[in-house]
Amino acid sequence: MFPAKSRTDSGVGRFDWLSITFVLGAVLLCYYLLPLVSLVVSQPPDVVLRRITQPDIVSATTTSIVSASTSALVATVFGLPLAYWLARADGQIKTVVTALVVLPLVLPPIVSGMVLLTIVGPETVVGRLAAANGLPLTRSVAGVVLAQTFVSSPFVVVTAKAAFESVDRSLEYASRSLGKSRFTTFRRVTLPLAWPGILAGVTLAFARSIGEFGATIMLAYYPRTMPVQIWVSFTTLGLDNAFPAAVVLVGIAVATLVVLNALGQNPLE
Amino acid sequence: MLELDALTKTYAGFEFGPVDATVDDEVLAVLGPSGSGKTTLLSVIAGIVAPDSGSVSLNGRALSGRSLEDRRTGLVFQDGALFPHLTARENIGYAATSGGRIDELATLLEIRDVLDRRPATLSGGEKQRVALARTLAADPDALLLDEPLSSLDAPIRRRLRIELHALFDSLDIPVVYVTHDQRTATALGDRIAIFRNGTIEQIGPPSTVLREPETRFVATFTGNENLFEGVATGGATVRVGDVELRTSEPVPAESAVTVCLHPSRIRLCDPSARPADGSEIHPTNVIRGTVDDWLNEGTEYRVHVNAAGTSLALVTTVRPPAFDRLAIDAGAPVQVAIPPQAVHLIPHAQAEL
Repeated sequence: MFPAKSRTDSGVGRFDWLSITFVLGAVLLCYYLLPLVSLVVSQPPDVVLRRITQPDIVSATTTSIVSASTSALVATVFGLPLAYWLARADGQIKTVVTALVVLPLVLPPIVSGMVLLTIVGPETVVGRLAAANGLPLTRSVAGVVLAQTFVSSPFVVVTAKAAFESVDRSLEYASRSLGKSRFTTFRRVTLPLAWPGILAGVTLAFARSIGEFGATIMLAYYPRTMPVQIWVSFTTLGLDNAFPAAVVLVGIAVATLVVLNALGQNPLE
Repeated sequence: MLELDALTKTYAGFEFGPVDATVDDEVLAVLGPSGSGKTTLLSVIAGIVAPDSGSVSLNGRALSGRSLEDRRTGLVFQDGALFPHLTARENIGYAATSGGRIDELATLLEIRDVLDRRPATLSGGEKQRVALARTLAADPDALLLDEPLSSLDAPIRRRLRIELHALFDSLDIPVVYVTHDQRTATALGDRIAIFRNGTIEQIGPPSTVLREPETRFVATFTGNENLFEGVATGGATVRVGDVELRTSEPVPAESAVTVCLHPSRIRLCDPSARPADGSEIHPTNVIRGTVDDWLNEGTEYRVHVNAAGTSLALVTTVRPPAFDRLAIDAGAPVQVAIPPQAVHLIPHAQAEL
């Protein structure tokens, strides 16, 4: 009789190196998941609902959503052209510009806030001019947007750049050889093909803006965003008071991941 | 008429040009190995790449300095470059001025059945037909094609080759067709330009380029394996080693030449046969030998023959009936008959190019 079992059915096959790596990785997965589950489970739904309908939380949520939407929009308006230029340019300058774009990603957010204060702070020329014209750049929604745009816009540029690079250049050449201008080619060929990737970048930028704390607190303690509100609740009333608002932010983060996966373009994967 | 005047371009260590050529309302097949500059030529004409010097004009209109979209040069890419988010109809409609034009081109290129499908669901042949329809929809003044058949299976390639031949005949515009496939070039080209190291090595009608290569490179690239160093002995004869061959034209005595015998133009005959009276083949052009090896190439056989008493090794192609009649096999005795017209001589000054 011939042996009926294959090597992969044996005990040796079940405990191969891949299984060991997964077991070790599972420790980290638990480290991610358990605190989140613990946070959500520890908060009775009625307490969360009651807390998130209180005026300070409603105000912070509104400020966060409005400012994060605005900063995502600003990042898109200015980030897409830069991303396209980076995707199509050649030479050393492209490397330098790319490094500059990712700089806000590696800077500690609180340092980003300090850097921004040197340009738009109340004692600077820009800050004084803007305030004189009724648009203060600190302690205002504009300040929140400036801080959020600084730290989140690289997500748009980097992700959109990759999306544009994935569009075959011969498609653009084909379009232009058919008599279409560069702009028409961008609008009708490049943009539709890169759109899922761009949308993923914008979603990431929005999520990053919603969670932005370090730069924001330097530029605009008021009006409070969600992270600032959580910090204030934590430092003044304790951890339990801060938890319900944190649950809301966790919900937004999960929703972001759902959107990214729905787009099929999760750049984090 | 498409006119290329002293075009040059240098990048990444590759020197293109100078290239001069004029393409009337005809098909110029650009043939050459990979990296010889064929695609660069199309890129320069289309305006994708700006030349360092020289000029391009189309129907008397200077194209130099004009952007891609202002040139009216239709470009067909190797993979079709169809817009993947649009259906075949929308791809053609991208350039067409009316729905009627879409239907007209779809009928011409036999793609009516696939008009509502996306490119991802089309076969390679269908993609190329749609790409051609899309390019023609813009009514270009010249058509540039970059190896559109190279990624297709052989049967589809053969069929499209025939269809393209008919299509090009119906277009009264210059067509530049880049390929590395000699069969496609000879089938479609009114003229062939052989590219090497960024320049045109030879340009002319297919039959001339194949039968009368001007350089060793052209001879080798067009499948001519029988290249021998020889010396003209005066009159219409040339000596290759111990063998003297008659040529159709007189050659200056003592001149060194490369003797070029295209495999398709020399033939094998029975070892006992004598050249008939009045035969075009002089007795000295009949060489005895033995078959060294043979290959079945589908429609014909390629037979390697060692000439008896010489170091000459010849290659010839034989059709199946003759192959069977002569009972060709390794070691079989044969005679190689070389018509004087098949003896093409490349002067050494050109052969060394």
